[in-house]
Amino acid sequence: MTTTDEKGIKETVKRFISSSISIAKLDDDDNLFESGIVNSLFAVQLMTFIEKTFAIEVGTDDLDIENFKSLNAMTAFVLQKNGHPNG
Amino acid sequence: MDKSEGQQLLTGAQKGRHEEFKSFVRLDVEPFAEQWDREQRLPESVIDKLAKRGYLGCSLPREYAGQGWDTVTFDLLNEALGRGSSALTDVVTVQAMVSMALLKWGTTEQKRKWLPPLAKGEMIGAFALTEPGAGSALQSLTTEFTPNSKGDCLLLNGHKKWISCAQFAAVFLVFGTLGQRSAACLVPRETPGLHIEAISDLMGFRAAGLAELHFHDVEVPSANLVGKPGFALSHVAQVGLHYGRISTACSALGLLRGCFEESIAYAGTRKIGDKTVGDLGMVRSLIARMGTDLEAGSLLCHNACRAEDSHLPEAFEKTLMAKYFTSRAAVRAASGAVQIKGASGCHGSSPVSRYYRDAKIMEIIEGTTQIHEDILGKIFVDQAGRFGK
Repeated sequence: MTTTDEKGIKETVKRFISSSISIAKLDDDDNLFESGIVNSLFAVQLMTFIEKTFAIEVGTDDLDIENFKSLNAMTAFVLQKNGHPNG
Repeated sequence: MDKSEGQQLLTGAQKGRHEEFKSFVRLDVEPFAEQWDREQRLPESVIDKLAKRGYLGCSLPREYAGQGWDTVTFDLLNEALGRGSSALTDVVTVQAMVSMALLKWGTTEQKRKWLPPLAKGEMIGAFALTEPGAGSALQSLTTEFTPNSKGDCLLLNGHKKWISCAQFAAVFLVFGTLGQRSAACLVPRETPGLHIEAISDLMGFRAAGLAELHFHDVEVPSANLVGKPGFALSHVAQVGLHYGRISTACSALGLLRGCFEESIAYAGTRKIGDKTVGDLGMVRSLIARMGTDLEAGSLLCHNACRAEDSHLPEAFEKTLMAKYFTSRAAVRAASGAVQIKGASGCHGSSPVSRYYRDAKIMEIIEGTTQIHEDILGKIFVDQAGRFGK
């Protein structure tokens, strides 16, 4: 498992979230924003983490809640930004 | 010679620029800061000097006519300027807030159009977020954007208050709502329907050109929207406020340094009988607190800026900590400096009287001390409660 495959990306993002915010359990499709556990500061920190860790740039065209709402959504977004066909 | 730990961490290039900044402040800022404060205005000539030296676009990349300096160098610029004039530093603060939000979230066309004049200082920007009824509670914004029937323009109505640099800014990054979503839009000063009303007689930052903005059916192109609607507060404003906090943290550190240097100079020379003021234990206590706060604040600012240069997510909370610490330490130091200088420190001819008034503003802008405590307290509690452990 590396940080560039689907499982690795998901685990890496999950570790960052769990080390930053208080959350009892986080499933792959849990909506981070609807649950209210993510505030605007953490939303930007999460975006910065994704940019730094996966060497991608989040631009204005990427500002879509669908890209960041859950672990599965963020994983798909990273794969897509890195040109993965299943992203 | 500054032997602080923060100085030891600088590269040769950063040290060289720091000397340049301090020299500029010594010659072109400090001798005039009291006059600007008294007259409640900054002369165009000093803003031109900031522009010519590249200070107004120092963090922007060279491709947009900026200097491409790292954030640590931005820290040093703000600290040096903050030693001389909080009001003048506020121009650098606000320019960075507008420019860096636009750099991150602007379209290619927006960046090509707006960033070069902002970087060169041909255009001053202002960050129009606060409203009479919405300061720290950003979700309460009442300024509204309404799309026209063609969808190519927005009609803007609302009222902004306490907007730094608004008296002389050429463009405003205005935050409001578009339907149920937050929106941010660039609004040129000359746009019909925009009325600007200067605010005078502030306690501090008196020369920073604050104003109220009244928008009455102001028509702006939809192409001026920055970021997508729905992300203006969570992403566009956050990036701007982040740079505002970096700048304010370092500016407060400069003010703290000013208090410290004024205090030790006075304590070492002012005679009381055959002793100096600095021989008094209670004065030494005040100076000890200032000197220790200065070292701690310097390291907090440096750490925050290094984290930003490394594009680390923790840069946001490190910046919050730096701003929280240095703004409060500046208030303590200014109070102590006035106390040490006694009656002479209460007169406008002494910089410490201005420091005393300006320092309190540092605890208000870019998020109050109480907002910082709320955010940082939550961050620390969350870190202790990882996965319910």
